[in-house]
Amino acid sequence: MAYEPLLLRNVHREGSRSIDVYMANGGYQGLRRALKEMAPEAMVEEVKSSGLRGRGGAGFSTGMKWSFLPPGLEKPRYLCVNADESEPGTFKDRVLIEQDPHLVLEGTIISAWAIQCHTAFFYIRGEFQAGFRIFGQAIEEARARGFLGKNILGSGFDLDIILYRGAGAYICGEETALLESLEGKRGLPRIKPPFPAIVGLYGCPTIINNVETLANVTLIAERGAAWFASIGRPKNTGPKLFCLSGHVKRPGVYEAPLGTPLLTLLNEHAGGMLHRDRPLKACVPGGSSMKVLPADRCDVLMDFDSLAAAGTMLGSAGGMVMDSSTCMVAALLNLAEFYEHESCGQCTPCREGTGWFTRILRRLEGGQGRPEDPDLLLDVARKVEGNTICPFGEAVAWPVQSYVTEFRSEFDAHVMRKACPLAG
Amino acid sequence: MPDPNSPDEVALLIDGRPVVVRKGTMVLQAAEKLGIVVPHYCYHPGLSIAGNCRMCLVEIEKAPKLQIGCATPATQGMVVKTTTPRVQSTREGIMEFLLINHPLDCPICDQAGECRLQEYSASYGTGQSRFVEEKIHHEKRDPIGARVMFDGERCIKCTRCVRFCDEVSKTHELDLFERGGHAIIGAFPGRPLDNPYSGNTVDICPVGALTWTPFRFRARVWFLKDTPSVCAGCARGCNVNVAVYDGRIHRITPRFNGEVNSHWMCDFGRQIHEPLYARARLDRPLVNQAPASSTGGGAEGPARATVGEALDLAAGRLRAVTSRFGPDSLAAIVSARLTLEDLHLAKKVLAGVLGAARLVVPAHEQGQDDALLIRKDKTPNAKGAMLLGLGAPDPQGVAGLSGDILAGRLRGLVVVGEDPLGDGLMSEEALRALEALVVIDSWRSPTLEAAHAALPACGYGEYEGVFVSFAGRAQRARQAVRPRGLADPPWLILRELGRRFGLSEAYPSASAVFDEVVSQVPAFAGLSYRALGETGRPTTGA
Repeated sequence: MAYEPLLLRNVHREGSRSIDVYMANGGYQGLRRALKEMAPEAMVEEVKSSGLRGRGGAGFSTGMKWSFLPPGLEKPRYLCVNADESEPGTFKDRVLIEQDPHLVLEGTIISAWAIQCHTAFFYIRGEFQAGFRIFGQAIEEARARGFLGKNILGSGFDLDIILYRGAGAYICGEETALLESLEGKRGLPRIKPPFPAIVGLYGCPTIINNVETLANVTLIAERGAAWFASIGRPKNTGPKLFCLSGHVKRPGVYEAPLGTPLLTLLNEHAGGMLHRDRPLKACVPGGSSMKVLPADRCDVLMDFDSLAAAGTMLGSAGGMVMDSSTCMVAALLNLAEFYEHESCGQCTPCREGTGWFTRILRRLEGGQGRPEDPDLLLDVARKVEGNTICPFGEAVAWPVQSYVTEFRSEFDAHVMRKACPLAG
Repeated sequence: MPDPNSPDEVALLIDGRPVVVRKGTMVLQAAEKLGIVVPHYCYHPGLSIAGNCRMCLVEIEKAPKLQIGCATPATQGMVVKTTTPRVQSTREGIMEFLLINHPLDCPICDQAGECRLQEYSASYGTGQSRFVEEKIHHEKRDPIGARVMFDGERCIKCTRCVRFCDEVSKTHELDLFERGGHAIIGAFPGRPLDNPYSGNTVDICPVGALTWTPFRFRARVWFLKDTPSVCAGCARGCNVNVAVYDGRIHRITPRFNGEVNSHWMCDFGRQIHEPLYARARLDRPLVNQAPASSTGGGAEGPARATVGEALDLAAGRLRAVTSRFGPDSLAAIVSARLTLEDLHLAKKVLAGVLGAARLVVPAHEQGQDDALLIRKDKTPNAKGAMLLGLGAPDPQGVAGLSGDILAGRLRGLVVVGEDPLGDGLMSEEALRALEALVVIDSWRSPTLEAAHAALPACGYGEYEGVFVSFAGRAQRARQAVRPRGLADPPWLILRELGRRFGLSEAYPSASAVFDEVVSQVPAFAGLSYRALGETGRPTTGA
């Protein structure tokens, strides 16, 4: 049965970015339906019962998150759209922002209405220059059509959206660092609690949602929670964008229901392994921060709970495929260098641990490893994990732990041979 | 007493011991109440919470991860464990992380001996490192401010200094620059750390990253002996520790007093001991039977004398003036820099016994009061002088005396702790016209040159006494070092002068003088040196 794309339904259309094309294909009907037929509280309930879980990485229930806002409207409430997509191996939000910005914008307006926010912020990754321009254009178009501004569609609801471009730091995708950055400060994660729903942007109750999450809200507003919940698997509902990169024939963004097998995505959507003679060695299913799965454990369903059961996480669904030519030490070093560069430097374990990882790995890869180094990597990772201000600590500790544990013999071989065994 | 049933209070268990604290108290503070040390670098009670060092991670029942004690509010029924193997192992890890890029240059580091890295390494570290690579290098001698030196390699990025400049001095010179392991504290371009409170960043730096430039390489801190005292740099009365090594004051640092200065003091106050060693001291009595008159004539110049000889000469001169011209012809200039005991005996001996008609207290003002600590009144005891009935410091008083001298109405003058000539308040002509000029002071000064008798007085830190702050708080300044040369406390010199005029009280000590003040001045009722303790007490009606 062919799957009819929902999130990517417009991206291949001529002029998909324009509001005319978007509206000609049913766009802004979800917003109309919500504003005319529903109450904001009912929309929150609708999203809750749809089972929508955040697409940014943690997979927390979106409706539940919204309901954490304190009652009362003494302080303004803010909605921040996290469009700082920076996780290595992840490029799904970018497709939505650049190819179908109104799908995201419509979901943003519906969500802002649902949580009774009148100023939303769209925090877009600094490197997304095209996306910044395109989304800015989309905001202008929507404003001209009365989907933004005062008294939207005669409902009495006012909303404006402020588009803000980050300066290119990975850490600003962490929601509290994003808030700091948005406030004009250095992007350092905040200590939680208090959570942003209570004390967020400028000290006000704030919801931070991922781009893809909000695109899904548009779908829920269009066709209802029950329909949405029928897609995917129990507790893992709805369509999902999967990024596939690495040693596959057709790397790219593919849409499929949550719970689609990883091997289906790899072999069917992405066209299988890049080289016929180089079999699958490992796959990181959820973006570089998640634990790696060796080939023999890649027969898993791509959803939040299945991957958690497999000892990893869906994360941002950035599937990174590695074939037999991959040196796992070099691969981990590559990641570690990224994390060392992107660590904000605020808290001790991450600031010092990330640099230590790269130095040990550089020695190992260069043939200068000591027999105790693999265990040292694991112990340093153990002391980083869980001890940092933000999840960045896990984001670097988990890959280190899983690469070393799953491919221990390769690390030991680097020590014994005093060289990379895969290097020619 | 804390009440566990009050809605404002919560009861919790820390390492099996119950404690009741106010709602909002952090676990680290609650532990402190029990005397349980939760090690920490970035937490400071005078600053906002940063939670970045991660040294205070503790186990809290039902929380899957360790939680930072500094930012986790105590809740009702919470069970905290600070000594479990998991906590210990995490502390070892944090210590190891903090040291992998630290230069370990303790032998040449001024912080050695009062360094949290050293202390916690001994208490919570493993004593070894598994780090074998090259450390990250930074500038080791960065004059980040005029009085503060920054060593980027020793820094652990706790941001206490940044938060101090943002929250306390509100001068915002510092921030964290760069990222990750290369993160480094720095001053913004063109904004060096030159605020009047910059020294506090050095005090609160838990490691040797920020050092007080005037103290660098002066003394190993374990040789320093701290004496609790009070700053004499202005009318605030910041509580301080005066650190002495080898008979010399090397450092003055703030001592916590929530009623006066919290944890802080100004840079000016940190340097009030420096003149003791930089400026020419009057360290032995000088006499001059016939100072050269302003119209010229046989100048003999000052000559050395014993204290007794100088006092005899002073008494003789003063007695000659009062017996010939009456007590109205005698006046005194006394300083609000003097202790309460000095001022009391100045009043008692000079006005009471000798009968001097006027005691003038000059004002010493500079700049403006600021929002934090600094007062424009640069004397520590103007309030004390007022409470003793010497009146408020008078900017015009000395000028009035000059006029009377030149008009022949004033013939004798006793100057205690002031330099009216050097300060431009009185002309040399006026001083030379006096028939008796007696000076009691710590310094060699222009005024001294015209004196018939000059008696050396102790300087700051060389004797004890009470200062009354502008807010009316009586606090004890203590003796930290021996007096220079033949210097004596001014009150003692005045006592000896008084004896020559029939003063009968014994005044064996400064505290005896203070006790007399207490018995005579209602504002001090009920006080004593013991009662003042180390943090002072408010006077009444202040």
